Amino acid sequence: MPTLRIDQREISVPQGTKVIEAAEKLGIMIPRFCYHPALGSLGACRMCAVKFMEGPVKGVEMSCMVEAADGMVVSTTDPEAMEFRRYVIEWLMLNHPHDCPICDAGGQCLLQDETVSGGHGLRRYQGLKRTFEDQYLGEFVQHEMNRCIHCWRCRRFYQEFAGYFDYGAMQIGNRMYFGRFAPGPLESPFAGNIIDLCPTGVLTDKPSRYKGRRWDLQRGPSLCLHCSLGCNLVGSARYREMIRVEARFHGAVNGYFICDRGRYGFAYANHPDRPRQARVGEEAAPLDQALKTAAQRLGQIRERYGPGAVAAWGSTRSSLETLGMLQWLCQDQGWRGPQFFPQASLARRVKAAVARLDTGMAVSLRDLENADFIVVAGADPVQEAPMLALALRQAARRGATVAVIDPRPVFLPLEYEHLPVSPGDIDLCLNLLSQAARSEEAATGKLEPDAARFYGLLTSTNLEDPLLQERLLALGRKLQDCLRPVIVCNTDMVRETTPARAADQARLLQADKGQAGLFYLLPGPNAYGAALLAGREEVDLLAAMEQGGVKALVVVENDPLGSCPDQERLLRALDNLELLVGLDYLPSATAARSQIFLPTTTVFEKEFSHFINQEGRLQQAVPLHQGGTPIIQVGQGSHPPRTFLDAIPGGEPRPGAGILADLAAALSGEPAPPTAGDLWDYLSGEHEGFSQLASLTASALGEGVHLLPAEAQEPAWSPEPGEKPPEPPAGQLELLLVDQTFGTEELGSYAAPLQKVEEEPHLLLHTDLAADLGLAPGEQVALLLPGGEVTVRLQTAQNMAPGVAIMPRHRRLHWQKTGDGPVWLPPENIKKLSEPL
Amino acid sequence: MSTLPPELQTELAQQVAAADHPREQVINIMYVLQKHYGYMSDEAVEEAAALLDMTPLEVEELATFYDFIYREAVGKFVIHVCDGVVCWMFHEGSVFDYLCEKLGVCAGGVSADGMFTVLPSACLGFCDHAPAMLINGVFYGHLNPEKIDAILEKLRREYCDLVICR
Repeated sequence: MPTLRIDQREISVPQGTKVIEAAEKLGIMIPRFCYHPALGSLGACRMCAVKFMEGPVKGVEMSCMVEAADGMVVSTTDPEAMEFRRYVIEWLMLNHPHDCPICDAGGQCLLQDETVSGGHGLRRYQGLKRTFEDQYLGEFVQHEMNRCIHCWRCRRFYQEFAGYFDYGAMQIGNRMYFGRFAPGPLESPFAGNIIDLCPTGVLTDKPSRYKGRRWDLQRGPSLCLHCSLGCNLVGSARYREMIRVEARFHGAVNGYFICDRGRYGFAYANHPDRPRQARVGEEAAPLDQALKTAAQRLGQIRERYGPGAVAAWGSTRSSLETLGMLQWLCQDQGWRGPQFFPQASLARRVKAAVARLDTGMAVSLRDLENADFIVVAGADPVQEAPMLALALRQAARRGATVAVIDPRPVFLPLEYEHLPVSPGDIDLCLNLLSQAARSEEAATGKLEPDAARFYGLLTSTNLEDPLLQERLLALGRKLQDCLRPVIVCNTDMVRETTPARAADQARLLQADKGQAGLFYLLPGPNAYGAALLAGREEVDLLAAMEQGGVKALVVVENDPLGSCPDQERLLRALDNLELLVGLDYLPSATAARSQIFLPTTTVFEKEFSHFINQEGRLQQAVPLHQGGTPIIQVGQGSHPPRTFLDAIPGGEPRPGAGILADLAAALSGEPAPPTAGDLWDYLSGEHEGFSQLASLTASALGEGVHLLPAEAQEPAWSPEPGEKPPEPPAGQLELLLVDQTFGTEELGSYAAPLQKVEEEPHLLLHTDLAADLGLAPGEQVALLLPGGEVTVRLQTAQNMAPGVAIMPRHRRLHWQKTGDGPVWLPPENIKKLSEPL
Repeated sequence: MSTLPPELQTELAQQVAAADHPREQVINIMYVLQKHYGYMSDEAVEEAAALLDMTPLEVEELATFYDFIYREAVGKFVIHVCDGVVCWMFHEGSVFDYLCEKLGVCAGGVSADGMFTVLPSACLGFCDHAPAMLINGVFYGHLNPEKIDAILEKLRREYCDLVICR
């Protein structure tokens, strides 16, 4: 631990720390452009010069290039260093245009700040400035190359950190140009981060262009709800409109970055059709009146048919407050439910996963970056949870082996080994990998008896494809020498046994190596919370509705008509209802169908909300503004109406939890349902996973709390099930419904910027299979599903499992005809409709 | 699809296949393609990228970095005039400006007869013969206007292949 003095203050830092980092620990921010904690040092901008007074280095040097050493005495304020920096900033400003007033970075520009702090107030340069032509870089990033000061941050992030190679640095010297080979959309789903990184206005946020200066915005810490990882955001609102989202640093979750889905998905909050008014039947009504009517009608149904005739259906995108209140309401009123997942099988997979996480097993995204062997089982990170792919890349950059066992043609921006096996073979692959990683004797000799017994029971038939088998065994041998392996597993498309199998294998690795991690992906930003609340009980509302036992359904921030794979069956079941009450902030099909509709707020409005990410981390989203219809919509682009109101137009929506609490009060006639504080008490009694909640302080909630138990609820080494999940009959294809980076995720599919970039939906078949069927890529095909026909364009891939057909749950594709449970298709169910375009 | 002649395609493919890491061949491939196209055209960048399993941007980053890869059409003779300090010291006026004036071009332009392109070059390393220039791989030193005129005249009359560098 070298100890040095910076500006007369002493500090000890770990070996290898740069002087600029050491100074930051003392709270001294040395000016910088090219240095960034996530990207490291480069020494390109010369801005971080300090003077080394004593020690191994002498004179003015770059603080980002010098490692802290014992005996160093550093001055950041020495006249010589200050003069050096003053010249550097003047030099960097030579070519910078005087366009701050029309630049979107103005007001949040590192170059502005450091020009002022560097003491460069008057321009002396009279010559011509070098100019460039800008490029179209897609819908998210606005390019303005004249402003560039050549710090290299964008290129270093884009290529080195994120692993995409269509954006970079061209030309040399003064002419150096950051851009693409030819104008066109940036290919990386992490491209938005170069906006946050750019120290000036070369790369600015396109959707929010000209919408406000930083000091105009209502800014605050928020959370991303577009997958289960729980990345931290800074949200910005202005004039009741959500304007922009930036990444917020979180050491364990997202680091400094977020993906473009998280950055631009927020626009659902501004959707022009967003329901902002309560409704009874076709008539708009004040919220409290609609609430009273709902309570009245629900009460009538309870009286007529008993409390079990009312059911509640929530979703994993609701805050913990709303989910908890819904649970409380169901218990208090004796209602059926709540159900939190669209399908019972998905609920079982998620619960199986959540029950196997504990402090010893769960790893964060940051831990994942330090793993040396990562097995990705049944997950397609870029499509499902993009930030996971970025973490995998960091692990690979540090030398980790990444093995993907998944039927899809998975692409990752890193070096990885992909084994395209069908979902039914994923468990077997994990077994084989495990066996190749240690010999029988080693297993029986070294492992605990429990672990050894589990190891002994692993089935190990060979894979059909000998080539895959060989690659898998080679990977297993590599795993032998690894010290910090992690298994990543999704709960979406895999067999019901797979999440548990992944946990068992991770536990086996832990028993073997002393260290191993488990990382799940879950469906939705609060799936972890929903799974804990759901408990062991199984709820199948669809069946109950079909049987006629349910007469009223309360749907809370959920769109079963969009998410239920058997829409026809759901529609029939909904017809059996006497009353459908909907609460939501999305203009969804279910909201439109509700007889009584109560509008709720988004995560950005009115009240604090909490979500639990896939590794059990409870995090807080702070309200940014008080809600209401954006002024730009009220005024239809012009000046808003000159009328005086005593309320915010469109400001009626309230947080789901509050509406449910009032509903409970109206139903029971008692005015005191649990308030926010009481809700935590209630939840902590509801499940041991929530037991910490009762004693949490406000500051702990703000920082985020890991709710993981010390020991997982489910004992390890669950025996392999005697009865395997059914596999498709020979010659039939298994239809897999999957996610895409853009276009399938619910909230993001209502966001206009993401709609512009989403890929066309397509059906994906193995190249050989398509050829056998006489189909060519690009052709329109009709896919005959249990619920009817779907027309979709065909794509083919070589690197996917041969026995599957893959279709995204795309918002523009009527995929809700697949029916509940696995879908097996005879190949003749795919018919050619037209020639390729 | 590639529009290169099949023999050239085979030659390049072999060159790439022989390398331990294909991208170590990028400069050599660019020289071959530049010779074929006369300069490193957009098409050539894309050809090189496809051959080396790189993105066109990655090839462009290198193509625009090196002096002797020409991303725009050049004359039959490319004159690299030394822009080093020693050469500045050894001539009155500027060899570069003289050449531009004489040939009626600005930096990177092609003379009307299609014969010459003038480019500045960071030090050629021919300081003992300053001021110096390099034309299609041949050094010329101790330059003065008369000597330059004579060299240009001679080149106009002689056949010369575009030699990249040595």
